[in-house]
Amino acid sequence: MVWRRSARTIRKREASTRSRRFERRLTRRTFFLPVGTVLIAVALGGVHAACNRPATDAGTPGRGRIAFVMKTLNHPFFLDMKRGAEEAANRLGLDLVVQAAERELDVEKQTQIIENLIQTGVKALCVTPSGSKEVVSVLAKATRAGIPIVIADTRVDPDAAAAANVKLGTFVGSDNYEGGRLAGEFLLQSTDGRARVAILEGIPGHETGDSRLRGFRDAVARAPGVTIVASQPANWERDQGFTVFQNMLQAHPDIDALFAANDLMALGAVEAIAATNRTGKVRVIGFDALDDARAAIEAGRMAASVAQSPRDMGRLAVESADRLIRGETVPADQTVPIVLVTKTSTEGR
Amino acid sequence: MARAPDGTSARQFGTLIGLLCLGCVLWILTPHFLTVPNLLNVLEQSAINAIVAAGMTFAIISGGIDLSVGSVLAFSGVVLASALQAGAGVPLAVTLALASAAACGLLNGLVVTRGNLPPFIATLGMMSIARGLALIWAEGRPISGFDETFRLIATARPLGVPAPVLITLLVYGVAHVALAHSVFGRSIYAIGGNEEASRLSGVPVRLHKTGAYVVCSSTSGVAAVVLTARLNSAQPTAGIMYELDAIAATVIGGTSLFGGEGTLVGALIGALIMGVLRNGLNLLNVSSFVQQLVIGVVIIGAVLIDTSLKRRR
Amino acid sequence: MRGICKQFPGVVALNDVALELRPGEVHVLLGENGAGKSTLVKILSGAVGKDSGEIRFAGQRVEIRGPDHARQLGISIVYQELTLIPHLSVAENVFLGKAPRRWGLVDWRRMRQDAERLLNGLGQTIDVRRPAGGLGLAQQQMVELARALADQARVLVMDEPTSALTGVEVEQLFAAIARLTARGVAIVYISHRMNEVFRIGYRVTVLRDGRNVATCALADVTAAGLVQLMANRDVSDQYPRRPVVRGGELLRVEGLCRRGILHDISLSLHAGEILGIAGLVGAGRTELARAIMGADPIDAGRITIRGQAARLKTPAAAARHGLAFLPEDRKAHGLVLSLSVQHNIALPNHRRLSRWGLVDGTRERAEAQRMIDQLRIRTPGPDRITRWLSGGNQQKVVLAKWLAGHAGVFIFDEPTRGIDVAARRDIYDLMNALVARGAGVIMVSSDLPEVLGMSDRVLVMRQGRVQGEFDARAASEAEVMRTAFGVAS
Repeated sequence: MVWRRSARTIRKREASTRSRRFERRLTRRTFFLPVGTVLIAVALGGVHAACNRPATDAGTPGRGRIAFVMKTLNHPFFLDMKRGAEEAANRLGLDLVVQAAERELDVEKQTQIIENLIQTGVKALCVTPSGSKEVVSVLAKATRAGIPIVIADTRVDPDAAAAANVKLGTFVGSDNYEGGRLAGEFLLQSTDGRARVAILEGIPGHETGDSRLRGFRDAVARAPGVTIVASQPANWERDQGFTVFQNMLQAHPDIDALFAANDLMALGAVEAIAATNRTGKVRVIGFDALDDARAAIEAGRMAASVAQSPRDMGRLAVESADRLIRGETVPADQTVPIVLVTKTSTEGR
Repeated sequence: MARAPDGTSARQFGTLIGLLCLGCVLWILTPHFLTVPNLLNVLEQSAINAIVAAGMTFAIISGGIDLSVGSVLAFSGVVLASALQAGAGVPLAVTLALASAAACGLLNGLVVTRGNLPPFIATLGMMSIARGLALIWAEGRPISGFDETFRLIATARPLGVPAPVLITLLVYGVAHVALAHSVFGRSIYAIGGNEEASRLSGVPVRLHKTGAYVVCSSTSGVAAVVLTARLNSAQPTAGIMYELDAIAATVIGGTSLFGGEGTLVGALIGALIMGVLRNGLNLLNVSSFVQQLVIGVVIIGAVLIDTSLKRRR
Repeated sequence: MRGICKQFPGVVALNDVALELRPGEVHVLLGENGAGKSTLVKILSGAVGKDSGEIRFAGQRVEIRGPDHARQLGISIVYQELTLIPHLSVAENVFLGKAPRRWGLVDWRRMRQDAERLLNGLGQTIDVRRPAGGLGLAQQQMVELARALADQARVLVMDEPTSALTGVEVEQLFAAIARLTARGVAIVYISHRMNEVFRIGYRVTVLRDGRNVATCALADVTAAGLVQLMANRDVSDQYPRRPVVRGGELLRVEGLCRRGILHDISLSLHAGEILGIAGLVGAGRTELARAIMGADPIDAGRITIRGQAARLKTPAAAARHGLAFLPEDRKAHGLVLSLSVQHNIALPNHRRLSRWGLVDGTRERAEAQRMIDQLRIRTPGPDRITRWLSGGNQQKVVLAKWLAGHAGVFIFDEPTRGIDVAARRDIYDLMNALVARGAGVIMVSSDLPEVLGMSDRVLVMRQGRVQGEFDARAASEAEVMRTAFGVAS
């Protein structure tokens, strides 16, 4: 009790009672405030946890608990995936924990979350990796803990995974390359092979975005009439999609088609196009077929979007996890179908 | 050992009790918290923030602040990774990473002391510059895949303790000697407490202030080495918002943002509180959105203590 | 005002002071630094309260509750530093906080007209729509006067109003003052400039050490007579004497200039000598001390220490050359209040107390304890945070910092300001001990008896120049004051 002794000696030295009182008050405050704050904070967290629990615990008497760690939970795509996963978990009577880092980019936080969930003894782990290579080291920990792993949406770097002895249960996703190719084909069809194209890329170095771009580029490379005049990252974000495409339009006013590696960027670009009164003059093709994007297609502000049903992905991931827990074999690669959403296709529905 | 100024020992004890209470509460709420693997896990996860917070403590005690640590971390990580990929040995690559981080700090210090810019602005600029350099150098992509010797920095478990934890302890040991017992550390306290009085007392103010920023950036370099080894990859987008985590840890630990007061032990406990909080909330399956809220409450609570103490003086 | 008393901790600032103002007069308030003029004015304006005594205003006894209340009563002050808000227009400044209103909105037209009328009354034609910050100093002062008039001021206090004005502007100000007095406003005029005092003053009240010395019509006295009144005082033996053993030259300053502040200053300091520097507030004494110490940049000049030319660009360099500086404001410049006694004492001595960059804690503590004993610093121990020490003990810590080292030249700036008598004596003894061991001391002080009592030689500064040099034992206070005021005898 060093602090208390020193406080007492200080007190002894103080001449006046007033300053003695002051000193005592000081020590008491310094001591209790941090404690109080932390307690309140924990209480807040605890209450939240308590509120969360019953919902997930309800249907799971004794069945396993599985974790689904997403890239982020503030993107409609992943929220759809979560919905699919929850539906499957409810049906199968599994206790599902869904978590994500605050920011999509934050591999270190995702790593920490996975580490923490391993500690809680989950029966299986579903992950949409924030980084194809970075996530490998923590997956190795899961393998060592004997937890089956399901990878969703974004592939893990196979070499890195092999080097770290990571045992991957299965990959559930859509073929992003195929999706990109589909978008490219649509462009060629709808423009008769003549277009000046801009591309909005996702965060560089992500397997998902890279595959989509490769697919798109490979498809349009066959047509000599198509030139790619600009290709820049807008980091998956709507606001960046707006500014980056606005700048592209400044530099190349003759752009007549845009491929965005996801719908958020495409929707940002749509706003940029509207801001320069060019709605309808630039064919915008997006990816993910978000509700907003479907509406934009309906309204003629976007031409098409590649739909890769995240809900099915979430469902399939949890089902695969369930089968892995039971010791059944699951194919190493499972894809969910990809379709192109266009105005004609939506009218048809 | 030189005694801490009156009152701070009580303050620190309070923070430590806060940490222990937090631990007790989590222990009651979840059986997964108080296990040796999980505690080691928490220590390992807190390592990077703790290392950065150690340096941040120097900058804040000197009366400044360093917003560039996260970006410097990314930049020196990229330097490290490219050196390793170019075939440099681990010692050389680590030295290069630390040197590039220190260079950023030197630049920060010079802009603050020679250019007379407020530290907030100077390091805000560096935050963008270092991030830009990292992105340019790495062409926006992560640089990954290193050999096992390098990865030992994160994966080794001497005596069962994760290497990043030992590195953190080493950083804090060296930093403690520097802060509490060296002329440099003493001068930092004095400058933060009263810059003009220190100058008139013949303290080379510019030298030591610059030193504080060099130390601060250098710890970011150390953190970059640990993070790169841990993720087996150096991302130019790494470390975003780390400056705020480090400032939060420092402040929770009782370091005054007005400068002149603060301790490393406080910063370490602060980083642990944040680490335990995040870990515990994960274990309890609290969403990351609520985690942000809770950490915000803790930060404001801690700063409220500081200001209420200040007013009482 | 009658029987006004005011005590500050440790000092009696005013003791039974009376001041009587008649309508339409310019009443000069005179006294050397610290005589109590500003305290008296602050009480009049409500900035500080009085301890006892009474204030009668137009025959009514009043208690001034604060600056706003004083203004309501009709007492306004024009401060040395102007208080206009630069971005607001002249008219807005004049009517700050009391703009004429109509239907709840500011009546701009009337405000402009009224402001113009008030300024015209002072003989000024200023475009009242211009921002006040764009005006010259003299015009800004006129706006301040107009503001006082808008307050319906009946008593106007002007503290050194001409210090920043040129000759022509001074004339304009005097003309404005004449218009004011013609309207029955009483003016309290504080100035150190004797010629002005005689130009515009009717009567004068002289203060000394917080007491009334005299109140008389200016027509009845001479400048030399007034200075005598201000300076006359018993010199007791509160200043300990010592044998003078003057050694070799320690410090020589030649042609020191700092643009607009210090002009061609030369001085020399010998071992075993105390050199006093006297002068009025603003004469450049502190600036000189700071310039020698390398705390402020200088434009020209040479400094020689023990016969060696030295370039002192920073206080750190000066300290390495053996210079020590005790600043005037010890809380702001002398101490790091958040640090302990021990760490403060170690601050200028790190070089000596450390090896390989690490401070030797044991030696540091021993040295702090030695200084605490030697200077009789009242503290529970070396670990005490200096913020909690009394003023006198804080000053002793500042001294201890430098005494612990091997400095040869000590520059003391107002070493005894705000310090009680007992601690004062300790500090004097210490200065004597320093020179006895062969150091040299430069002492800047506003306390004239102290300067003359402690120093061997006294330099008198005025407006950034050395105006004269005296042998402290032979000089009289009156002589020094005349030089400081720039008045011929």
